[in-house]
Amino acid sequence: MTRRALAWLARRIIGAVVVLWAVATLIFFAIRLVPGDPAEAILGGPGSQASAASLALVRRQYGLDQPLVVQYLDQLGRLARGELGTSYSLKQSVASVLGAQLPPTLLLAAVSLIVAWLLAIAVAWWSSGGGRIANGLASTLEVVASAVPQFLLASVLIVVFAVQLEWLPPVSSGTPSGLVLPVITLAVPVAGFLGQVTRDSLLDASAAPFALSARARGEGPTGVFARHLLRHAALPGLALSGWAFGSLLSGAVVVESVFARPGLGRTLLDAVTLRDIPLVTGVALASALAYVTVVALGDLAETLVDPRASTPSEAAS
Amino acid sequence: MRTPLLAAAGLAAAAALVLSGCTSGSSSAGGDSKPVRGGTLTYATGDAEPTCLDPHVGGNYPQALVASQYLEELVSKNRAGEIIPWLATSWKQSADGLTWTFSLKKNVSFTDGTAFDADAVVANIEHVKDPATLSSTGYLALGKVEKAEALDAHTVKIDLSSADSSLLDSLSMPWLAIESPTALKRSQAVNCESPVGTGPFEVTKWVKQQSVTMVRNAKYSSPPADAAHTSDAYLSKIVWRFIPDSASRYAALQSGQVDVIDNAQPDTLVAAAKSSQIKAIDAPRPGASDRLELNSSQAPFDDERVRQAFIIGIDVNAGIRSLFFGTAKRSYSLLSSVEKDGYSDKALFGVDTKKATALLDEAGWTKRDSSGYRTKDGKRLTVRFPVSTNQSIPAERSLFEQIQAEGKTLGFDVEISELDLSSWYGALAKHDYEIVSAPYTKVGPGVLDILYNSSSITPAPSGYFANNAQVNDPKLDALLKQAGEESDQAKRKALYVEAQKTVLSGYYVLPLYDQQNHYLYRTSVHGLRALPTVSTPTLYDTWLTK
Repeated sequence: MTRRALAWLARRIIGAVVVLWAVATLIFFAIRLVPGDPAEAILGGPGSQASAASLALVRRQYGLDQPLVVQYLDQLGRLARGELGTSYSLKQSVASVLGAQLPPTLLLAAVSLIVAWLLAIAVAWWSSGGGRIANGLASTLEVVASAVPQFLLASVLIVVFAVQLEWLPPVSSGTPSGLVLPVITLAVPVAGFLGQVTRDSLLDASAAPFALSARARGEGPTGVFARHLLRHAALPGLALSGWAFGSLLSGAVVVESVFARPGLGRTLLDAVTLRDIPLVTGVALASALAYVTVVALGDLAETLVDPRASTPSEAAS
Repeated sequence: MRTPLLAAAGLAAAAALVLSGCTSGSSSAGGDSKPVRGGTLTYATGDAEPTCLDPHVGGNYPQALVASQYLEELVSKNRAGEIIPWLATSWKQSADGLTWTFSLKKNVSFTDGTAFDADAVVANIEHVKDPATLSSTGYLALGKVEKAEALDAHTVKIDLSSADSSLLDSLSMPWLAIESPTALKRSQAVNCESPVGTGPFEVTKWVKQQSVTMVRNAKYSSPPADAAHTSDAYLSKIVWRFIPDSASRYAALQSGQVDVIDNAQPDTLVAAAKSSQIKAIDAPRPGASDRLELNSSQAPFDDERVRQAFIIGIDVNAGIRSLFFGTAKRSYSLLSSVEKDGYSDKALFGVDTKKATALLDEAGWTKRDSSGYRTKDGKRLTVRFPVSTNQSIPAERSLFEQIQAEGKTLGFDVEISELDLSSWYGALAKHDYEIVSAPYTKVGPGVLDILYNSSSITPAPSGYFANNAQVNDPKLDALLKQAGEESDQAKRKALYVEAQKTVLSGYYVLPLYDQQNHYLYRTSVHGLRALPTVSTPTLYDTWLTK
């Protein structure tokens, strides 16, 4: 590794630590600003009036009787040592919950990102050779796709492909076929967005001198697209992939609930409802870490696709 | 062409069917042919995923739903609402009402091999009463229980601090189910993952956010007195799935991916009624009806005239009919329709906007501000209504909005705020409400003592209190105390009816409907029923045709 690359990496890591600290702090105070008592929530709510003795015990057990500052410093200290603590509601270590729930969500998000790219490129390629009508059609399609609410899309997909056609299971079954509808639900809006930016720069590129000269040398439209235009057109989309991944992670909350998939999204939803502070913190930190990593990878991919644009040190600045 | 031999064979088959029909008794769902052994039933719940599968810990409805498959109680109830034997065969109350003696079923063991005996019952009561267990519903129900003692292997004595006419009701609830004392000695985390009971199924695996897997208990021998058969369960396996989204849950049922669902929403029930492959069970929960409670401890509802104006000035029937598509029946009672001691009085709730207007004028809310709301001394007639989105279904939230709109024509500014569960507790604890809708499930009319006794105004240390209407009436307290100690059924009913009349005629509560508990199942499912205790489903008598 060159010195420059090392410096880039160091800066990335410091940046990541700062982001994680900010997330931990924000979550800690935000969850306490909202009214309600975590001890009551731990004990199950109004259908189950908790006794004073149980509440006192819970407060002591979870350190909720300490002053806020002490609780905050305590938590930061533990996080710094890599201890994520024990979930209030699941009575399991947060690390083991993340270990079980992170992989399905990452799989869902990663496959969705790949499918979104494939969809975006397919539409771009099809419309690039099709003239004005194809272009207009593609553009409309992309706008609709990027604007469709995931909840609605998921419901329509379930009714059509699961209930009417009976091709795919309506809720996740643990088999690959159960991944199809959730992936489409997440991929379509992101594909619409990526498609819009990709096709705009594709149009620019196809009018550029290097494209003209390639065509003049007698290369066919497919060759020109794959060897010259795509590389150019993909750049802005790649830069946005980090953002897209983030939106996929947040979209997972809806998709995991609708398709009854395990994952971080549902964990977060339940954890927030139950005021499960360690679990909310753990999920937020894991998502932040995943996001920071993907943004860095996106930057790296950009420099690989377009070496002339930047070196890693510039990409980070 | 019919030969005598074939006719004889047919006759024999018919006889066998009749005989098997006799032994299997009557079942609420499709007892039309001979039960089939084996098969896996997939049940999809829309309730929250329990945080612990042992209902002693905490104690809410999601736990009761799943625990009904692997845990059993000392007593149960039949359809008429009478207490019947389960793990206990008989019981006796002492003359002073302070001691109960239970005789227990013999030759029953827990699925870990531990024998079910008097010591096991003692260990369970101690487990629930131990603050370290963090029991809430069960703990509260055992409030008057001082201690339990084994008299011999199959006889257990329970001593009370004061007479408790609700004791049998309480012991019939899943939150006081009996677990293996050996298993209870493990750590709470382990016991939460794999509680051990005497039930027809045992828990083998719990994959969080996905499912709980249960397999048949081959040695099962302790069904409740009203079960349809006596041997082990027909199903070999149950997969208990968590599918929070109601549309997905119904789609999974339609496509056959799951066999039974709960928490079916009104629109789904209407759609399901048109399907030839899906049947429904309506099983209202016991305890309190779903109702609006008016906070009588602060303005403006500290004035009975204002409470009455709100209750008789707003028509909720039209909203219930249209938003619930006829799947919910209007209630005029504080208690669920399954409670035999419930008292219903339609006359108190006749809509009379003219009288409501007069009452508000009389109470001094005579002026109107620029938005059309009534005012008094420059203060708007505002009533805050925090709604817990975790405990209220969309149709109900729409109903609340209709009530808001009706309130406006009367001059009430009904401020609805939709909150998550914790924020909702927070609002209640700070008395930031004038109207609230809070579910409460408990077997028997004893629930009235929790909801309307003035002692329930004193908040728990967390700030939560059950008497949301803040009814503070010494006469009512005395009635509830008397009813709670009365062992004569008829006298107890009379006292509880009197107590209900007191609350209803004070216009503290606007009853809406029973707590909605609807199950949908495919026609391939037979012998499914809801236990008459807290209306949880039991899959013991259930079998599948494919």
